[in-house]
Amino acid sequence: MSWAQAILLARGLSRGWGGIFGALSGAPFSQVPLRAARGLHGSLAARNSDSWLVPPPPEPRKGPGPTKALALHEELFQQAPEGARDKANFVRAVQNFGQHNVHKRGHVDFIYLALRKMREYGVERDLAVYNLLLDVFPKEVFRPRSIFQSIFIHYPRQQECGIAVLEQMESHGVMPNKETEFLLIQIFGRKSYPMLKFVRMKLWFSRFKNINPFPVPRDLPQDPVDLAKLGLRHMEPNLSATVTIYQMPSSKDSTGAADPAEPHIVGIQTPDQQAALANHNPARPVFVEGPFSLWLRDKCVYYHILRADLLPPEEREVEEIPEEWNLYYPMQLDLDYGRSGWDDYEFDIHKVEEGPVFAICMAGAHDQATLAKWIQGLQETNPALAQIPVVFRLAGSTGELRASSSGLEEPPPPEGQEEEEDNQQRQQQGQS
Amino acid sequence: MVVAVLFLRRVVAARAPRAPVAFATSRRPLRTSPRSRAFAKELFLGKIEKKEVFPFPEVSQDELNEVTQFVGPVEKFFAEEVDSQRIDREGRIPNETLEKLKSLGLFGMQVPEEYGGLGLSNTMYARLGEIVGLDASIAVTLAAHQAIGLKGIILAGNKEQKARYLPKLASGEHIAAFCLTEPSSVALLNGVFCVRSGSDVASIKSRATLSEDKKHYILNGSKVWITNGGMANIFTVFAKTEVVDSDSSVKDKITAFIVERDFGGVTNGKPEDKLGIRGSNTCEVRFENTRVPIENVLGEVGGGFKVAMSTLNSGRFSMGSTVAGMLKKLIEMTAAYACTRKQFNKSLGEFGLIQEKFALMAQKTYVMESMAYLTAGMLDQPGFPDCSIEAAMVKVFSSEGAWQCVSEALQVLGGLGYMRDYPYERLLRDSRILLIFEGTNEILRMYIALTGLQHAGRILTARVNELKSGNVSTVIETVGQRLRDSLGRTVDLGLTGKLGVVHPSVADSANKLEENVYYFGRTVETLLLRFGKTIVEEQMVLKRVANVLINLYGMTAVLSRASRSIRMGVRNHDHEVLLANIFCAEAYYQNLFTLSQLDKYSPENLDEQIKKVSQQVLEKQAYICAHPLERTF
Repeated sequence: MSWAQAILLARGLSRGWGGIFGALSGAPFSQVPLRAARGLHGSLAARNSDSWLVPPPPEPRKGPGPTKALALHEELFQQAPEGARDKANFVRAVQNFGQHNVHKRGHVDFIYLALRKMREYGVERDLAVYNLLLDVFPKEVFRPRSIFQSIFIHYPRQQECGIAVLEQMESHGVMPNKETEFLLIQIFGRKSYPMLKFVRMKLWFSRFKNINPFPVPRDLPQDPVDLAKLGLRHMEPNLSATVTIYQMPSSKDSTGAADPAEPHIVGIQTPDQQAALANHNPARPVFVEGPFSLWLRDKCVYYHILRADLLPPEEREVEEIPEEWNLYYPMQLDLDYGRSGWDDYEFDIHKVEEGPVFAICMAGAHDQATLAKWIQGLQETNPALAQIPVVFRLAGSTGELRASSSGLEEPPPPEGQEEEEDNQQRQQQGQS
Repeated sequence: MVVAVLFLRRVVAARAPRAPVAFATSRRPLRTSPRSRAFAKELFLGKIEKKEVFPFPEVSQDELNEVTQFVGPVEKFFAEEVDSQRIDREGRIPNETLEKLKSLGLFGMQVPEEYGGLGLSNTMYARLGEIVGLDASIAVTLAAHQAIGLKGIILAGNKEQKARYLPKLASGEHIAAFCLTEPSSVALLNGVFCVRSGSDVASIKSRATLSEDKKHYILNGSKVWITNGGMANIFTVFAKTEVVDSDSSVKDKITAFIVERDFGGVTNGKPEDKLGIRGSNTCEVRFENTRVPIENVLGEVGGGFKVAMSTLNSGRFSMGSTVAGMLKKLIEMTAAYACTRKQFNKSLGEFGLIQEKFALMAQKTYVMESMAYLTAGMLDQPGFPDCSIEAAMVKVFSSEGAWQCVSEALQVLGGLGYMRDYPYERLLRDSRILLIFEGTNEILRMYIALTGLQHAGRILTARVNELKSGNVSTVIETVGQRLRDSLGRTVDLGLTGKLGVVHPSVADSANKLEENVYYFGRTVETLLLRFGKTIVEEQMVLKRVANVLINLYGMTAVLSRASRSIRMGVRNHDHEVLLANIFCAEAYYQNLFTLSQLDKYSPENLDEQIKKVSQQVLEKQAYICAHPLERTF
């Protein structure tokens, strides 16, 4: 072995080690040297693909040579341009590779290419397709035969490719199954890094799968009303809360672009909130604030709240237990000593009290006219609201995240007054 | 209460010259000794008030003879003429049965004789309850009529009200009902459904407003689940009235009214379809602008809370004997079956697991009977002792005993017990209500524990404060006491021994009781030291305190009764000794366990985990475990 060859081998080894450990640990610090070592697969392009282990698609400005080389198997995916980009065609492309290439030459490149193409074909969450991709690897060839082979990574490029497949599965939340395990054992053997990755995935996936106490469905509803319902339920954990659709979008057929005149208005309110609103002092205004953003997977929805300021301490009524309340047993004991310190498990927490929130809504439009309709709808179930002045504190344009807190902004006085007048008018109408 | 006491004194005084009266509290020698301390409250201090419970209360021979004469025809009537199956099936008590009950005087058992009732003492009332208990629907109808329906008039009514209403009520011409529970609607996910709250006075929405001429109250409101609501003529109704307080502020307070159906505006809904006690009439009663004359205010205006409370408290003790009467009959029927039915060439009674059930039934019956008559005897003592804790304990023990025993009896009977052609399933259905009405057992446990803790807490205030402020001598004394306790001191509260009140045959059990009582007192002290007045929120702790107390009271009752039986040479007193010893031993070990759960950092105490589980379930309003067949990969 020549000196040059030895250096090349060493470089390859270090790359392999780095890549594999980076993928296995996923720790951020290992990614920095890794990216440098990833020259093997091309440039340090931004991570726009699903996984950084999958090399980015070739850049067109490069010469014809590398483009041709990297797009080596591109034609397999372009064979059926008239055909839909679906699973059947993807599977056909992978199978074609196997048929055309009996010796499976260039299979690593093909797998990287296929991984990049998966999203286009909408199969990125299909376990069977991943297994099919792994099946492209030639079997038994990369299995280490001796302990030294397994210590010094055997076929690092192939192992790294195998890890890339698993990595992409991981980022799409696809749980490997027995078949995956069997394939990996066949291809890389038990003592290999893809296998280690597999074992770790199996361990952590099962534990993390249901870790979220507030799960969001994988496929969100397309209908904005349904989406709003989902979002509201997501924010309000109280199961006795009622979701009310105050207004259905007028043009339902055109999804997404509803008629601006009649956007949907969906609200949620719990019985406790209803009671709190009924007890609200009508001399104090309530505020409609928003829009605030809520992310549901990759969708952002906006909501508004109806809230009031915290009562100053002198106005708070201390709830006292009436003496004649319970016919059967005393609700309090007439003793002048309380709980001893040893049995007081309350932590000394500094609590920041906030004013009450009376209701939440999601509407198709974020202007005052729409939200006034919501308030109008709320008045049907909360008659007390008719007596309370409502001040609208809306952030500027819709669709933007609000940078500052609304509490600092002064409500535009004319709006609030208008609304108060409106309310008074409405009250008069109600009385007459 | 004061009104009641005054009134009863008057009655006793009025009756004193009428010597030849048959059953009467007036027969009892009027003692002038100061009012004795209540037994149950003293248990909280680790003391046994022996005078209260030893010897077991007795009635005089004359009284006994007369009640036996009276019991005879009632027993015959229930055995021959009451068709419980028909009552259950048709959902009503036939008129001729009701007429016969009236003619027997059973509608006025506790109404004083001067008003045409039988004027029975509590003990005699309990004795008759045993027979009435043979049919649950009749028992509930009668109890709703006289234990709570007209009880308010006896306890709090003035002379005119009594003279006006009691005679007709005692004869059964009028039937009474007690109207307290109200509907309160709660909006829920799918529409609206009603929640009824029986113990929450704040939920009472019925309102009585004084009319212009100030001679009437205009009553409006709706009451639900009123037993006898459909057939009653006289209602004790609780409604909110505006009362001007001492500081001249207007407040809503509960007032009790006697309302006649003839006042107008009284309507009732259709009878509710129930699981058990189907023969009793339960329905909604509505009052619309019913004009109630101000003379019909029961007690003071705004004093309805006290009227309701004392009425409810006074009615409970009788459940013990009523259930015992039912269980005695049940044991007879089940035993007959167990002795005739053969399996594997053996009669059912020869199997250990069946024998166990009969022993349990006999033991529970014995204990609840003893508790009921001990309480009745205490109530009959002059001075009108407050036995509400004891009465509540009798109710809790007997209702749970009834459910358990009927369930075990059904087990003995096997499939037969499940069939509608036999009376057993009806007994099971009927006995379920016992745990719920007259205050649910949970609520009564709170009452038992909190009333006792209030008493003990007041007495121990000085001591607790000294301990908290670190008074050296008190601390040293307490530590020394605890040290002696932990080294195992023998407790002697004076029940046994040469001049002891307990017979030597049950001396072992008496020692167990003494030990339990002593350590219970210690535990109560520790609990008060630990929780103070915030113990109200520790419901699981309170439940345990109540459970121990119920056991202690049961032990006392059986020891007292068994000692008397042995000394008098009552028939089968050896059987009583057995039952007493079994119960005391079981209760002793239960108490030890419960008391150890009440210790701080007790490994037996799983309250924190239990609370967490229920919090998580209630948060999701569902059983939240994943299905056992579910997998994550």
